[in-house]
Amino acid sequence: MKAHTLQLRIAEFNIELTSTSKLELDEGYDHFIVKQSPYINIFIACFAGFPQGLSLKSNDLVFEATNDQQKFYSIYKQSDRLIFILYNQKKINTVQQIGYLDASFSHWKIFSQGINGVIQPMVYPMGPILLHYITLQSDAAMMHASCAFDGINGRLFSGFSGSGKSTISKIWADAGSQIINDDRLIIRYQQDAYYVYNTPMYYSDRSKKASLNSIFLISHAPENKIKRLKGAEAITKVMAFSIQNNFDPFWVEKRLEFFSKLCDQISVYSLGFVPNENVVKFILENELK
Amino acid sequence: MKIDELYKLKSLFVTREVGDELIIVPLSGNVSNMNHLFTMNETGKLIWENLRPEENIEYYVKLIMDEYEVDKDLAYNDVNMFLARISHLDDNL
Repeated sequence: MKAHTLQLRIAEFNIELTSTSKLELDEGYDHFIVKQSPYINIFIACFAGFPQGLSLKSNDLVFEATNDQQKFYSIYKQSDRLIFILYNQKKINTVQQIGYLDASFSHWKIFSQGINGVIQPMVYPMGPILLHYITLQSDAAMMHASCAFDGINGRLFSGFSGSGKSTISKIWADAGSQIINDDRLIIRYQQDAYYVYNTPMYYSDRSKKASLNSIFLISHAPENKIKRLKGAEAITKVMAFSIQNNFDPFWVEKRLEFFSKLCDQISVYSLGFVPNENVVKFILENELK
Repeated sequence: MKIDELYKLKSLFVTREVGDELIIVPLSGNVSNMNHLFTMNETGKLIWENLRPEENIEYYVKLIMDEYEVDKDLAYNDVNMFLARISHLDDNL
């Protein structure tokens, strides 16, 4: 049977998907597909249909992502491997995909329902979950954040939903900066510096990278105000907006170490802002040079 | 919250020392708790690091008095503030 292979390069991580079924990805992945990577970080074997004989016990359940209405995904641990059960967000309690992740975090098996011999292994939320587990094995983290890059400085904006991440990025874009992404970013530490990368979204966008120079934890305010955050306060507030599955102490310790070093090297600010162009000048006048 | 109850909870948190402060992250099986990270000041850190099930409040009052050379009322106040704050920790597990 013919093997289908796709290679992706996201945040400079190389990912290879293989299957005997035809593979299809959302258009957001279009610009992340590469012809041939010199090395592969993550191998993903993709299958049509769900695995037979999978038996999950409630004792094996280590993590659940839910809200009041429905489950998003559940994680079970059996021996050394993690088993992800992902639910269809339009059909409550209907399994959409199943994923197996080995102990090295480098080999996935993803099981999806095929349609006419075609499978979509990276359909949301599998894509972001997979990227989160890639960051865990590296000096990296995934953030709920936007980022604007003025050609020299990358400014990352994070905060609660509705705090204005897209708005402030758009204001910086109108002032000439490039938006790296306005929702989900990967921060990586490479060669003594921090960089921000976009990740595939529901829309098509090319792969982008920017140096990270400052982090702003934003909220709407009646007037622009800024405060530098340091130490434990900076670390906890930045880490709170990262993607986390905090069921394993080993990974939590690694995360704390990553954010401690990040906040030691990168300036972190609390920023209350009025959503107009004045905030650009305000930041330029108040951030550390 | 009693000291022995608090001691039992301790293993359900991961901590990191940052200067004189302590960051506390709850090990959680639910994504809705992921934003709940805590910081403790110097006295909170001292109590947390010396938690033992057999001790009582007076032990920690004396510990703070000895460490920081403060009077008993202030030390009591510190311990009570710590216990009040920490009493919500198990809401996040």
